[in-house]
Amino acid sequence: MQEPQATIYVVDDDPLVRDGLDSLLRSVGYEVRSFASVDDFTRHPRKDAASCLVLDVRMPGPSGLDFQARLAESGDAIPVIFLTGHGDVPMSVRAIKAGAVEFLLKPFREQDLLDAIRAGLEKDRVYRLDAGLLAELRERLATLNARERNVMALVVTGLLNKQVAGELGVSEITVKVNRAQVMRKMQAATLPDLIRMADRLGLAANR
Amino acid sequence: MKLDTASLHIEQPILWLVITIFAAGIFLADTITDLEIAVAVLYVAVVLISVWTDRPRAVMLVGTGCGILTIASYLLTRFGDPEAGLANCALSLLAIGATTYLALRIEAANLAARQAQADLAHMSRMMLVGEMGTSIAHEVSQPLAAIVANGNAAIRWLGAAPPNGGEARKALDRIVEAAGRAGDVIGRVRNLAARTPPSRKPIDMAELVQETLALALGEIRSSQITLRTELANDLPMVAGDRVQLQQVILNFVINAIDAIKAGRTDERDLLVSLSTDGEKITLSVRDNGVGLSQGSLDKVFDAFYSTKPGGMGVGLAISRSIVEAHRGSVYAAPNYPHGAVFGFRLPMDEAPMDKAPMDKAKD
Repeated sequence: MQEPQATIYVVDDDPLVRDGLDSLLRSVGYEVRSFASVDDFTRHPRKDAASCLVLDVRMPGPSGLDFQARLAESGDAIPVIFLTGHGDVPMSVRAIKAGAVEFLLKPFREQDLLDAIRAGLEKDRVYRLDAGLLAELRERLATLNARERNVMALVVTGLLNKQVAGELGVSEITVKVNRAQVMRKMQAATLPDLIRMADRLGLAANR
Repeated sequence: MKLDTASLHIEQPILWLVITIFAAGIFLADTITDLEIAVAVLYVAVVLISVWTDRPRAVMLVGTGCGILTIASYLLTRFGDPEAGLANCALSLLAIGATTYLALRIEAANLAARQAQADLAHMSRMMLVGEMGTSIAHEVSQPLAAIVANGNAAIRWLGAAPPNGGEARKALDRIVEAAGRAGDVIGRVRNLAARTPPSRKPIDMAELVQETLALALGEIRSSQITLRTELANDLPMVAGDRVQLQQVILNFVINAIDAIKAGRTDERDLLVSLSTDGEKITLSVRDNGVGLSQGSLDKVFDAFYSTKPGGMGVGLAISRSIVEAHRGSVYAAPNYPHGAVFGFRLPMDEAPMDKAPMDKAKD
Protein backbone atom coordinates (compact mmCIF):
# COMPACT_ATOMS: atom_id res chain seq x y z
CA MET A 1 0.00 0.00 0.00
CA GLN A 2 2.89 2.31 0.81
CA GLU A 3 3.86 4.53 -2.12
CA PRO A 4 7.23 6.01 -1.27
CA GLN A 5 7.77 9.72 -1.88
CA ALA A 6 4.31 10.25 -3.34
CA THR A 7 2.83 13.51 -2.15
CA ILE A 8 -0.87 14.25 -2.18
CA TYR A 9 -2.01 17.85 -2.17
CA VAL A 10 -5.47 18.45 -0.74
CA VAL A 11 -7.32 21.70 -1.35
CA ASP A 12 -10.69 22.07 0.41
CA ASP A 13 -12.04 25.10 2.23
CA ASP A 14 -13.98 23.01 4.73
CA PRO A 15 -11.63 22.30 7.65
CA LEU A 16 -13.42 19.13 8.74
CA VAL A 17 -13.24 17.61 5.25
CA ARG A 18 -9.71 18.86 4.71
CA ASP A 19 -8.39 17.48 7.99
CA GLY A 20 -10.29 14.24 7.42
CA LEU A 21 -8.72 13.75 3.99
CA ASP A 22 -5.34 14.71 5.40
CA SER A 23 -5.66 12.18 8.20
CA LEU A 24 -7.05 9.45 5.96
CA LEU A 25 -4.32 9.79 3.33
CA ARG A 26 -1.60 9.92 5.98
CA SER A 27 -3.02 6.78 7.58
CA VAL A 28 -2.67 5.06 4.20
CA GLY A 29 0.97 6.13 4.09
CA TYR A 30 1.04 9.09 1.75
CA GLU A 31 2.75 12.34 2.44
CA VAL A 32 0.00 14.94 2.55
CA ARG A 33 -0.03 18.71 2.25
CA SER A 34 -3.40 20.36 2.68
CA PHE A 35 -4.54 23.87 1.89
CA ALA A 36 -7.66 25.94 2.44
CA SER A 37 -7.51 27.62 -0.95
CA VAL A 38 -5.93 27.24 -4.37
CA ASP A 39 -3.92 30.38 -3.73
CA ASP A 40 -2.30 28.81 -0.69
CA PHE A 41 -1.53 25.78 -2.81
CA THR A 42 -0.02 27.88 -5.60
CA ARG A 43 2.23 29.71 -3.16
CA HIS A 44 3.52 26.48 -1.65
CA PRO A 45 6.74 25.14 -3.23
CA ARG A 46 6.24 21.64 -4.56
CA LYS A 47 8.60 18.69 -4.44
CA ASP A 48 9.79 17.18 -7.69
CA ALA A 49 8.19 13.81 -7.04
CA ALA A 50 5.10 11.85 -8.05
CA SER A 51 2.09 13.72 -6.76
CA CYS A 52 -1.53 14.47 -7.37
CA LEU A 53 -4.05 17.07 -6.36
CA VAL A 54 -7.38 16.44 -4.61
CA LEU A 55 -9.45 19.52 -5.31
CA ASP A 56 -12.86 20.67 -4.13
CA VAL A 57 -14.87 22.13 -7.02
CA ARG A 58 -16.74 24.84 -5.18
CA MET A 59 -14.65 27.09 -3.03
CA PRO A 60 -14.37 30.75 -2.28
CA GLY A 61 -11.99 32.40 -4.72
CA PRO A 62 -11.28 30.74 -8.05
CA SER A 63 -13.36 27.59 -8.52
CA GLY A 64 -11.70 24.22 -8.86
CA LEU A 65 -12.57 24.01 -12.55
CA ASP A 66 -11.09 27.42 -13.31
CA PHE A 67 -8.00 26.50 -11.39
CA GLN A 68 -7.65 23.31 -13.42
CA ALA A 69 -7.69 25.40 -16.59
CA ARG A 70 -5.08 27.72 -15.12
CA LEU A 71 -2.82 24.79 -14.26
CA ALA A 72 -3.09 23.43 -17.79
CA GLU A 73 -2.28 26.85 -19.27
CA SER A 74 0.83 27.19 -17.17
CA GLY A 75 1.98 23.74 -18.30
CA ASP A 76 1.54 22.20 -14.87
CA ALA A 77 0.60 18.58 -15.46
CA ILE A 78 -0.23 17.56 -11.90
CA PRO A 79 -3.16 15.07 -12.09
CA VAL A 80 -6.36 16.43 -10.56
CA ILE A 81 -9.06 14.53 -8.68
CA PHE A 82 -12.20 16.58 -8.15
CA LEU A 83 -14.49 16.37 -5.16
CA THR A 84 -17.86 18.01 -5.25
CA GLY A 85 -20.91 18.25 -3.07
CA HIS A 86 -23.31 18.94 -5.92
CA GLY A 87 -21.83 17.57 -9.11
CA ASP A 88 -23.92 18.01 -12.16
CA VAL A 89 -23.23 16.22 -15.40
CA PRO A 90 -21.97 19.19 -17.46
CA MET A 91 -19.52 20.06 -14.73
CA SER A 92 -18.07 16.57 -14.54
CA VAL A 93 -17.88 16.34 -18.32
CA ARG A 94 -15.97 19.61 -18.42
CA ALA A 95 -13.59 18.41 -15.73
CA ILE A 96 -12.90 15.04 -17.32
CA LYS A 97 -12.50 16.59 -20.79
CA ALA A 98 -9.96 18.96 -19.32
CA GLY A 99 -8.00 15.93 -18.18
CA ALA A 100 -9.17 15.31 -14.62
CA VAL A 101 -8.42 11.81 -13.32
CA GLU A 102 -11.72 11.44 -11.52
CA PHE A 103 -14.76 13.42 -10.46
CA LEU A 104 -16.04 12.18 -7.10
CA LEU A 105 -19.32 13.13 -5.49
CA LYS A 106 -19.30 13.87 -1.80
CA PRO A 107 -19.80 11.85 0.26
CA PHE A 108 -17.41 9.63 -1.66
CA ARG A 109 -16.50 6.03 -0.92
CA GLU A 110 -13.04 5.61 0.54
CA GLN A 111 -12.09 2.99 -2.04
CA ASP A 112 -13.09 5.25 -4.94
CA LEU A 113 -10.90 8.01 -3.62
CA LEU A 114 -7.90 5.74 -3.02
CA ASP A 115 -8.30 4.17 -6.47
CA ALA A 116 -8.44 7.61 -8.06
CA ILE A 117 -5.34 8.69 -6.19
CA ARG A 118 -3.47 5.58 -7.29
CA ALA A 119 -4.53 6.25 -10.89
CA GLY A 120 -3.47 9.87 -10.55
CA LEU A 121 -0.03 8.99 -9.20
CA GLU A 122 0.43 6.42 -11.95
CA LYS A 123 -0.45 9.04 -14.54
CA ASP A 124 2.02 11.43 -12.97
CA ARG A 125 4.76 8.80 -12.92
CA VAL A 126 4.27 7.99 -16.60
CA TYR A 127 4.23 11.67 -17.42
CA ARG A 128 7.40 12.31 -15.44
CA LEU A 129 9.16 9.37 -17.11
CA ASP A 130 8.07 10.70 -20.46
CA ALA A 131 9.11 14.23 -19.62
CA GLY A 132 12.51 12.91 -18.50
CA LEU A 133 12.95 11.08 -21.78
CA LEU A 134 12.10 14.17 -23.76
CA ALA A 135 14.62 16.24 -21.83
CA GLU A 136 17.24 13.60 -22.59
CA LEU A 137 16.43 13.73 -26.32
CA ARG A 138 16.69 17.50 -26.32
CA GLU A 139 20.14 17.26 -24.75
CA ARG A 140 21.25 14.86 -27.47
CA LEU A 141 19.84 17.11 -30.16
CA ALA A 142 21.80 20.01 -28.73
CA THR A 143 25.08 18.17 -29.39
CA LEU A 144 24.44 18.18 -33.17
CA ASN A 145 26.04 20.92 -35.25
CA ALA A 146 24.05 22.89 -37.81
CA ARG A 147 24.96 20.65 -40.79
CA GLU A 148 24.09 17.50 -38.86
CA ARG A 149 20.73 18.96 -37.87
CA ASN A 150 19.90 19.75 -41.46
CA VAL A 151 20.86 16.25 -42.52
CA MET A 152 18.74 14.75 -39.74
CA ALA A 153 15.74 16.88 -40.65
CA LEU A 154 15.90 15.71 -44.28
CA VAL A 155 16.74 12.06 -43.60
CA VAL A 156 13.73 11.58 -41.32
CA THR A 157 11.42 12.74 -44.12
CA GLY A 158 12.50 9.65 -46.06
CA LEU A 159 14.92 11.25 -48.54
CA LEU A 160 17.85 9.16 -49.85
CA ASN A 161 21.43 10.29 -49.18
CA LYS A 162 21.77 11.40 -52.80
CA GLN A 163 18.64 13.53 -52.56
CA VAL A 164 19.76 15.05 -49.26
CA ALA A 165 23.11 15.90 -50.85
CA GLY A 166 21.33 17.54 -53.77
CA GLU A 167 19.07 19.48 -51.43
CA LEU A 168 21.93 20.79 -49.30
CA GLY A 169 24.36 21.25 -52.20
CA VAL A 170 27.07 19.00 -50.71
CA SER A 171 28.61 15.69 -51.77
CA GLU A 172 26.96 12.40 -51.01
CA ILE A 173 30.02 11.33 -48.99
CA THR A 174 29.62 14.31 -46.67
CA VAL A 175 25.99 13.41 -46.11
CA LYS A 176 26.95 9.84 -45.31
CA VAL A 177 29.47 10.97 -42.72
CA ASN A 178 27.08 13.48 -41.18
CA ARG A 179 24.35 10.90 -41.08
CA ALA A 180 26.55 8.43 -39.21
CA GLN A 181 27.37 11.19 -36.69
CA VAL A 182 23.68 11.95 -36.23
CA MET A 183 22.88 8.28 -35.56
CA ARG A 184 25.68 8.06 -33.03
CA LYS A 185 24.98 11.31 -31.21
CA MET A 186 21.23 10.68 -31.05
CA GLN A 187 21.86 7.07 -29.98
CA ALA A 188 19.52 5.80 -32.65
CA ALA A 189 20.09 2.19 -33.73
CA THR A 190 17.97 2.33 -36.87
CA LEU A 191 16.32 4.90 -39.10
CA PRO A 192 12.84 4.24 -37.63
CA ASP A 193 14.29 4.99 -34.18
CA LEU A 194 15.56 8.30 -35.44
CA ILE A 195 12.24 9.12 -37.04
CA ARG A 196 10.43 8.43 -33.76
CA MET A 197 12.84 10.72 -31.92
CA ALA A 198 12.39 13.46 -34.49
CA ASP A 199 8.68 13.05 -34.03
CA ARG A 200 8.91 13.44 -30.25
CA LEU A 201 11.12 16.49 -30.68
CA GLY A 202 8.69 18.00 -33.11
CA LEU A 203 11.19 18.05 -35.96
CA ALA A 204 9.06 16.14 -38.42
CA ALA A 205 6.39 18.74 -38.11
CA ASN A 206 8.75 21.40 -39.41
CA ARG A 207 8.97 19.87 -42.84
CA MET B 1 -69.05 36.87 14.18
CA LYS B 2 -71.64 36.13 11.57
CA LEU B 3 -70.67 33.82 8.79
CA ASP B 4 -71.04 34.67 5.16
CA THR B 5 -71.11 31.15 3.84
CA ALA B 6 -73.40 32.03 0.98
CA SER B 7 -71.08 34.22 -1.04
CA LEU B 8 -69.17 31.45 -2.75
CA HIS B 9 -71.51 28.73 -3.82
CA ILE B 10 -74.49 30.93 -4.52
CA GLU B 11 -72.60 33.11 -6.92
CA GLN B 12 -73.19 30.79 -9.87
CA PRO B 13 -76.93 30.25 -9.20
CA ILE B 14 -77.39 34.02 -8.86
CA LEU B 15 -75.77 34.48 -12.22
CA TRP B 16 -78.11 31.96 -13.78
CA LEU B 17 -81.06 33.67 -12.15
CA VAL B 18 -80.05 37.02 -13.60
CA ILE B 19 -79.56 35.46 -17.02
CA THR B 20 -82.97 33.79 -16.87
CA ILE B 21 -84.78 36.96 -15.73
CA PHE B 22 -83.11 39.07 -18.42
CA ALA B 23 -83.80 36.55 -21.13
CA ALA B 24 -87.42 36.16 -20.00
CA GLY B 25 -87.91 39.94 -19.89
CA ILE B 26 -86.49 40.42 -23.35
CA PHE B 27 -88.54 37.53 -24.66
CA LEU B 28 -91.71 39.02 -23.20
CA ALA B 29 -90.96 42.50 -24.54
CA ASP B 30 -90.01 41.11 -27.91
CA THR B 31 -93.16 39.04 -28.17
CA ILE B 32 -95.68 41.73 -27.17
CA THR B 33 -94.14 44.58 -29.13
CA ASP B 34 -94.49 45.03 -32.89
CA LEU B 35 -92.37 43.03 -35.27
CA GLU B 36 -90.75 46.30 -36.43
CA ILE B 37 -89.14 46.81 -33.02
CA ALA B 38 -85.96 44.71 -32.69
CA VAL B 39 -85.96 44.12 -28.94
CA ALA B 40 -84.19 40.79 -29.55
CA VAL B 41 -80.92 42.61 -30.14
CA LEU B 42 -80.80 43.10 -26.37
CA TYR B 43 -80.05 39.36 -26.03
CA VAL B 44 -76.39 40.25 -26.65
CA ALA B 45 -76.35 41.63 -23.09
CA VAL B 46 -77.50 38.23 -21.81
CA VAL B 47 -74.75 36.50 -23.75
CA LEU B 48 -72.18 38.91 -22.32
CA ILE B 49 -73.43 38.25 -18.78
CA SER B 50 -72.96 34.52 -19.37
CA VAL B 51 -69.21 35.10 -19.83
CA TRP B 52 -69.02 35.54 -16.04
CA THR B 53 -69.80 31.84 -15.58
CA ASP B 54 -66.30 31.16 -16.89
CA ARG B 55 -67.60 28.15 -18.80
CA PRO B 56 -67.52 28.00 -22.60
CA ARG B 57 -70.32 25.47 -22.61
CA ALA B 58 -72.57 27.85 -20.66
CA VAL B 59 -71.86 30.69 -23.09
CA MET B 60 -72.68 28.40 -25.99
CA LEU B 61 -75.89 27.31 -24.29
CA VAL B 62 -77.01 30.87 -23.55
CA GLY B 63 -76.20 32.00 -27.10
CA THR B 64 -78.20 29.15 -28.63
CA GLY B 65 -81.06 29.73 -26.15
CA CYS B 66 -81.27 33.40 -27.08
CA GLY B 67 -81.34 32.47 -30.76
CA ILE B 68 -84.21 30.06 -30.21
CA LEU B 69 -86.12 32.65 -28.14
CA THR B 70 -85.68 35.22 -30.89
CA ILE B 71 -87.18 32.87 -33.46
CA ALA B 72 -89.95 31.90 -31.04
CA SER B 73 -90.82 35.59 -30.49
CA TYR B 74 -90.97 36.17 -34.22
CA LEU B 75 -93.36 33.29 -34.66
CA LEU B 76 -95.53 34.29 -31.69
CA THR B 77 -95.76 38.04 -32.35
CA ARG B 78 -99.12 39.02 -33.83
CA PHE B 79 -98.58 42.69 -34.70
CA GLY B 80 -96.53 44.46 -37.31
CA ASP B 81 -95.11 43.86 -40.73
CA PRO B 82 -93.93 40.25 -41.14
CA GLU B 83 -91.24 41.26 -43.65
CA ALA B 84 -89.69 43.84 -41.38
CA GLY B 85 -90.02 41.29 -38.58
CA LEU B 86 -88.10 38.70 -40.58
CA ALA B 87 -85.32 41.19 -41.31
CA ASN B 88 -85.20 42.22 -37.63
CA CYS B 89 -85.16 38.57 -36.56
CA ALA B 90 -82.28 37.83 -38.95
CA LEU B 91 -80.33 40.87 -37.74
CA SER B 92 -80.88 39.92 -34.10
CA LEU B 93 -79.74 36.38 -34.78
CA LEU B 94 -76.63 37.72 -36.50
CA ALA B 95 -75.88 40.00 -33.54
CA ILE B 96 -76.41 37.17 -31.03
CA GLY B 97 -74.28 34.82 -33.10
CA ALA B 98 -71.44 37.33 -33.44
CA THR B 99 -71.55 38.17 -29.74
CA THR B 100 -71.55 34.52 -28.76
CA TYR B 101 -68.57 33.91 -31.01
CA LEU B 102 -66.66 36.82 -29.50
CA ALA B 103 -67.65 35.81 -25.99
CA LEU B 104 -66.30 32.32 -26.62
CA ARG B 105 -63.06 33.81 -27.90
CA ILE B 106 -62.74 35.89 -24.71
CA GLU B 107 -63.55 32.80 -22.69
CA ALA B 108 -60.82 30.79 -24.44
CA ALA B 109 -58.29 33.56 -23.95
CA ASN B 110 -59.17 33.78 -20.26
CA LEU B 111 -58.80 30.06 -19.92
CA ALA B 112 -55.42 30.06 -21.64
CA ALA B 113 -54.23 32.90 -19.45
CA ARG B 114 -55.35 31.10 -16.31
CA GLN B 115 -53.74 27.88 -17.45
CA ALA B 116 -50.47 29.70 -18.13
CA GLN B 117 -50.67 31.29 -14.72
CA ALA B 118 -51.26 27.96 -13.03
CA ASP B 119 -48.42 26.34 -14.97
CA LEU B 120 -46.12 29.14 -14.01
CA ALA B 121 -47.04 28.89 -10.35
CA HIS B 122 -46.49 25.16 -10.44
CA MET B 123 -43.19 25.52 -12.25
CA SER B 124 -41.85 28.12 -9.87
CA ARG B 125 -42.91 25.94 -6.96
CA MET B 126 -41.10 22.97 -8.50
CA MET B 127 -38.05 25.05 -9.15
CA LEU B 128 -38.04 26.34 -5.62
CA VAL B 129 -38.27 22.82 -4.24
CA GLY B 130 -35.60 21.61 -6.64
CA GLU B 131 -33.28 24.40 -5.72
CA MET B 132 -33.90 23.84 -2.04
CA GLY B 133 -33.15 20.15 -2.53
CA THR B 134 -29.89 20.89 -4.31
CA SER B 135 -28.66 23.27 -1.69
CA ILE B 136 -29.67 20.94 1.14
CA ALA B 137 -27.89 18.08 -0.61
CA HIS B 138 -24.76 20.18 -0.83
CA GLU B 139 -24.99 21.32 2.77
CA VAL B 140 -25.37 17.76 4.01
CA SER B 141 -22.87 16.17 1.66
CA GLN B 142 -20.11 18.30 3.13
CA PRO B 143 -20.30 17.00 6.72
CA LEU B 144 -21.00 13.50 5.37
CA ALA B 145 -17.80 13.64 3.34
CA ALA B 146 -15.97 14.72 6.48
CA ILE B 147 -17.49 11.81 8.41
CA VAL B 148 -16.51 9.30 5.71
CA ALA B 149 -12.94 10.56 5.47
CA ASN B 150 -12.40 10.86 9.22
CA GLY B 151 -14.15 7.58 9.96
CA ASN B 152 -11.97 5.65 7.54
CA ALA B 153 -8.92 7.44 8.86
CA ALA B 154 -9.80 6.49 12.45
CA ILE B 155 -10.27 2.84 11.46
CA ARG B 156 -6.87 2.82 9.79
CA TRP B 157 -5.10 4.58 12.64
CA LEU B 158 -6.57 2.08 15.11
CA GLY B 159 -5.68 -0.85 12.84
CA ALA B 160 -2.10 0.27 12.40
CA ALA B 161 0.72 -1.55 14.19
CA PRO B 162 1.12 -0.04 16.72
CA PRO B 163 -2.30 1.65 16.79
CA ASN B 164 -2.14 5.43 16.74
CA GLY B 165 -4.69 6.43 19.36
CA GLY B 166 -3.92 10.13 19.18
CA GLU B 167 -4.66 10.44 15.47
CA ALA B 168 -7.72 8.21 15.79
CA ARG B 169 -9.08 10.39 18.57
CA LYS B 170 -8.62 13.55 16.57
CA ALA B 171 -10.44 11.97 13.64
CA LEU B 172 -13.27 10.87 15.94
CA ASP B 173 -13.57 14.39 17.35
CA ARG B 174 -13.97 15.69 13.83
CA ILE B 175 -16.67 13.08 13.13
CA VAL B 176 -18.67 14.27 16.13
CA GLU B 177 -18.32 17.86 14.99
CA ALA B 178 -19.34 17.03 11.42
CA ALA B 179 -22.37 15.07 12.65
CA GLY B 180 -23.38 18.07 14.71
CA ARG B 181 -23.17 20.24 11.65
CA ALA B 182 -25.32 17.83 9.61
CA GLY B 183 -27.84 17.98 12.45
CA ASP B 184 -27.86 21.77 12.25
CA VAL B 185 -28.63 21.60 8.55
CA ILE B 186 -31.58 19.32 9.22
CA GLY B 187 -32.78 21.65 11.94
CA ARG B 188 -32.69 24.55 9.52
CA VAL B 189 -34.65 22.57 6.94
CA ARG B 190 -37.29 21.81 9.54
CA ASN B 191 -37.59 25.46 10.40
CA LEU B 192 -37.93 26.25 6.74
CA ALA B 193 -40.75 23.77 6.22
CA ALA B 194 -42.75 24.97 9.18
CA ARG B 195 -41.31 28.09 10.71
CA THR B 196 -41.38 27.24 14.37
CA PRO B 197 -42.81 28.61 16.45
CA PRO B 198 -45.67 29.57 14.16
CA SER B 199 -47.27 32.85 15.04
CA ARG B 200 -50.27 32.30 17.28
CA LYS B 201 -53.09 34.63 16.46
CA PRO B 202 -56.81 33.95 16.75
CA ILE B 203 -58.13 32.73 13.42
CA ASP B 204 -61.69 32.52 12.25
CA MET B 205 -61.45 29.26 10.35
CA ALA B 206 -64.62 29.78 8.33
CA GLU B 207 -63.30 33.07 7.08
CA LEU B 208 -59.95 31.51 6.30
CA VAL B 209 -61.61 28.72 4.32
CA GLN B 210 -63.63 31.26 2.31
CA GLU B 211 -60.55 33.29 1.56
CA THR B 212 -58.59 30.26 0.52
CA LEU B 213 -61.35 28.94 -1.72
CA ALA B 214 -61.50 32.33 -3.41
CA LEU B 215 -57.90 31.76 -4.51
CA ALA B 216 -58.79 28.45 -6.14
CA LEU B 217 -62.12 29.57 -7.57
CA GLY B 218 -60.84 30.23 -11.06
CA GLU B 219 -59.39 26.75 -11.28
CA ILE B 220 -62.53 25.18 -9.77
CA ARG B 221 -64.79 26.87 -12.32
CA SER B 222 -62.69 26.23 -15.34
CA SER B 223 -62.47 22.57 -14.32
CA GLN B 224 -66.26 22.54 -14.15
CA ILE B 225 -66.29 21.38 -10.58
CA THR B 226 -69.28 21.97 -8.36
CA LEU B 227 -68.04 23.43 -5.13
CA ARG B 228 -70.06 23.08 -1.97
CA THR B 229 -69.17 24.35 1.45
CA GLU B 230 -70.62 23.24 4.76
CA LEU B 231 -69.20 25.58 7.33
CA ALA B 232 -70.66 25.21 10.82
CA ASN B 233 -71.89 28.40 12.41
CA ASP B 234 -70.38 29.95 15.52
CA LEU B 235 -67.14 28.02 15.46
CA PRO B 236 -64.68 29.11 18.12
CA MET B 237 -61.40 30.67 17.09
CA VAL B 238 -58.29 28.64 16.49
CA ALA B 239 -54.85 29.88 17.48
CA GLY B 240 -52.29 29.70 14.75
CA ASP B 241 -50.54 31.06 11.73
CA ARG B 242 -52.98 32.20 9.06
CA VAL B 243 -50.60 31.96 6.15
CA GLN B 244 -49.42 28.48 7.06
CA LEU B 245 -52.90 27.08 7.59
CA GLN B 246 -54.05 28.70 4.39
CA GLN B 247 -51.20 26.94 2.61
CA VAL B 248 -52.41 23.60 4.01
CA ILE B 249 -56.04 24.15 2.97
CA LEU B 250 -55.02 25.34 -0.48
CA ASN B 251 -52.84 22.28 -0.83
CA PHE B 252 -55.76 19.96 -0.03
CA VAL B 253 -58.04 21.83 -2.42
CA ILE B 254 -55.58 21.84 -5.30
CA ASN B 255 -54.88 18.14 -4.79
CA ALA B 256 -58.63 17.51 -4.84
CA ILE B 257 -59.02 19.48 -8.07
CA ASP B 258 -56.18 17.50 -9.64
CA ALA B 259 -57.77 14.24 -8.50
CA ILE B 260 -61.16 15.23 -9.92
CA LYS B 261 -59.61 16.27 -13.21
CA ALA B 262 -57.78 12.94 -13.38
CA GLY B 263 -61.01 11.06 -12.69
CA ARG B 264 -63.48 9.99 -15.37
CA THR B 265 -66.69 10.81 -13.63
CA ASP B 266 -69.09 13.39 -15.05
CA GLU B 267 -70.16 14.51 -11.62
CA ARG B 268 -67.35 16.66 -10.39
CA ASP B 269 -67.96 17.48 -6.77
CA LEU B 270 -65.79 19.15 -4.21
CA LEU B 271 -67.05 19.53 -0.67
CA VAL B 272 -65.18 21.60 1.88
CA SER B 273 -66.54 21.42 5.38
CA LEU B 274 -65.77 22.68 8.83
CA SER B 275 -67.25 21.05 11.90
CA THR B 276 -66.58 20.65 15.57
CA ASP B 277 -67.07 18.02 18.22
CA GLY B 278 -66.68 20.49 21.05
CA GLU B 279 -62.98 19.82 21.51
CA LYS B 280 -61.53 20.04 18.07
CA ILE B 281 -62.30 21.76 14.84
CA THR B 282 -62.23 19.48 11.82
CA LEU B 283 -61.64 20.67 8.29
CA SER B 284 -62.26 18.23 5.51
CA VAL B 285 -61.86 18.45 1.75
CA ARG B 286 -63.84 15.74 0.01
CA ASP B 287 -63.58 14.99 -3.70
CA ASN B 288 -64.96 12.33 -6.01
CA GLY B 289 -61.83 12.13 -8.12
CA VAL B 290 -59.51 9.22 -8.81
CA GLY B 291 -58.98 8.37 -5.16
CA LEU B 292 -56.08 6.55 -3.58
CA SER B 293 -55.33 2.94 -2.74
CA GLN B 294 -55.05 1.98 0.93
CA GLY B 295 -51.28 1.63 0.49
CA SER B 296 -51.03 5.13 -0.90
CA LEU B 297 -53.24 6.57 1.83
CA ASP B 298 -50.84 5.25 4.45
CA LYS B 299 -47.87 6.94 2.83
CA VAL B 300 -49.41 10.03 1.33
CA PHE B 301 -48.13 12.39 4.03
CA ASP B 302 -44.56 11.07 3.78
CA ALA B 303 -41.97 13.29 2.20
CA PHE B 304 -41.11 12.56 -1.44
CA TYR B 305 -44.09 10.25 -1.84
CA SER B 306 -46.38 11.24 -4.69
CA THR B 307 -49.06 9.57 -6.78
CA LYS B 308 -49.26 12.45 -9.23
CA PRO B 309 -47.24 12.28 -12.41
CA GLY B 310 -44.50 14.84 -11.97
CA GLY B 311 -45.44 15.26 -8.30
CA MET B 312 -42.69 16.07 -5.85
CA GLY B 313 -44.25 14.54 -2.77
CA VAL B 314 -43.58 17.67 -0.80
CA GLY B 315 -46.91 19.49 -0.38
CA LEU B 316 -48.63 17.06 1.96
CA ALA B 317 -45.47 16.42 3.94
CA ILE B 318 -45.14 20.13 4.61
CA SER B 319 -48.87 20.32 5.36
CA ARG B 320 -48.48 17.66 7.99
CA SER B 321 -45.57 19.40 9.68
CA ILE B 322 -47.50 22.67 9.71
CA VAL B 323 -50.59 21.08 11.25
CA GLU B 324 -48.53 19.23 13.81
CA ALA B 325 -46.79 22.46 14.74
CA HIS B 326 -50.31 23.70 15.52
CA ARG B 327 -50.81 20.72 17.84
CA GLY B 328 -53.22 19.21 15.36
CA SER B 329 -53.30 16.09 13.22
CA VAL B 330 -53.88 15.35 9.55
CA TYR B 331 -55.84 12.50 8.04
CA ALA B 332 -56.61 10.97 4.67
CA ALA B 333 -59.39 8.49 3.94
CA PRO B 334 -61.21 7.07 0.94
CA ASN B 335 -64.46 8.75 -0.07
CA TYR B 336 -67.42 6.57 -1.18
CA PRO B 337 -68.07 5.53 -3.86
CA HIS B 338 -64.92 7.11 -5.19
CA GLY B 339 -62.47 9.87 -4.40
CA ALA B 340 -60.72 10.80 -1.20
CA VAL B 341 -61.07 12.94 1.89
CA PHE B 342 -58.19 14.96 3.25
CA GLY B 343 -58.37 17.05 6.34
CA PHE B 344 -57.01 18.10 9.67
CA ARG B 345 -58.19 18.49 13.23
CA LEU B 346 -57.03 21.40 15.30
CA PRO B 347 -57.54 21.94 19.00
CA MET B 348 -59.82 24.83 19.81
CA ASP B 349 -58.32 27.86 21.31
CA GLU B 350 -59.83 27.61 24.75
CA ALA B 351 -57.14 29.60 26.55
CA PRO B 352 -56.52 33.30 26.02
CA MET B 353 -53.91 34.19 23.43
CA ASP B 354 -50.24 34.70 24.08
CA LYS B 355 -50.15 33.28 27.59
CA ALA B 356 -51.43 29.94 26.42
CA PRO B 357 -48.24 28.26 25.16
CA MET B 358 -46.24 28.91 28.32
CA ASP B 359 -48.92 27.63 30.67
CA LYS B 360 -49.58 24.53 28.64
CA ALA B 361 -45.98 23.51 28.34
CA LYS B 362 -45.97 22.65 32.01
CA ASP B 363 -48.69 20.04 32.18
